[in-house]
Amino acid sequence: MTDFEALIRLLAGSGVEFIMVGGAAATAHGSARLTQDLDIVYRRSPENIARLAACLAPYHPYLRGAPPGLPFRLDGDTIERGLNFTLITDLGSLDLFGEIIGGGRYEDLQRDTIELALFGVTCRCLGLERLIEVKRAVGRPRDLEAIAELEALRDEREGQDLSRS
Amino acid sequence: MNAKQPKRAEPDSVIEAYKRDIDRSLLRENLRLTVEQRFRNLQQLQRFADELRTAPRRSDP
Repeated sequence: MTDFEALIRLLAGSGVEFIMVGGAAATAHGSARLTQDLDIVYRRSPENIARLAACLAPYHPYLRGAPPGLPFRLDGDTIERGLNFTLITDLGSLDLFGEIIGGGRYEDLQRDTIELALFGVTCRCLGLERLIEVKRAVGRPRDLEAIAELEALRDEREGQDLSRS
Repeated sequence: MNAKQPKRAEPDSVIEAYKRDIDRSLLRENLRLTVEQRFRNLQQLQRFADELRTAPRRSDP
């Protein structure tokens, strides 16, 4: 089980620059679907990579689904050499994306984010419209229902806004 | 929670078909909650899913 609260507090509390995307971002926007992991797009600056590696190290990050005993160590060099990592940690499943299909890198997504005050920290989450756009760009059949739900959430929000005006 | 919105894509007929089956009452409930409450509900749902996965089945030998 993924401890979203602990992971978000850890990342944001350590000063990691990241944007919540995927199912967790959908949850933030009101999705009722179950998601099992925290997906984040992280800024690929040397300082941020160092912060990310350092804060995760005590929680034994390892490649999710890989056989045990591989010579894998998530340090700054590993993150510099790679881009996207699908991890299991002591706090649960965490996917690190240096770049996402249809969205690009942290800097490309930043302007379409919202700031959330969550679990005593502040973190960035991809905005609903951009989240829909990214999910559409990925084009996976299994995402169709998720996209439909996100668009329904958008309709509901717009309905609320209209009823308030 | 308002970000500057990117340009909206044209409606997709397949997604529109899926939208008809979305339970909007659940979404309305969620929209009444804070973001933190939504994440706490997700954790509860995860726990429940884990319980179901590990629960012994009556039909198991």
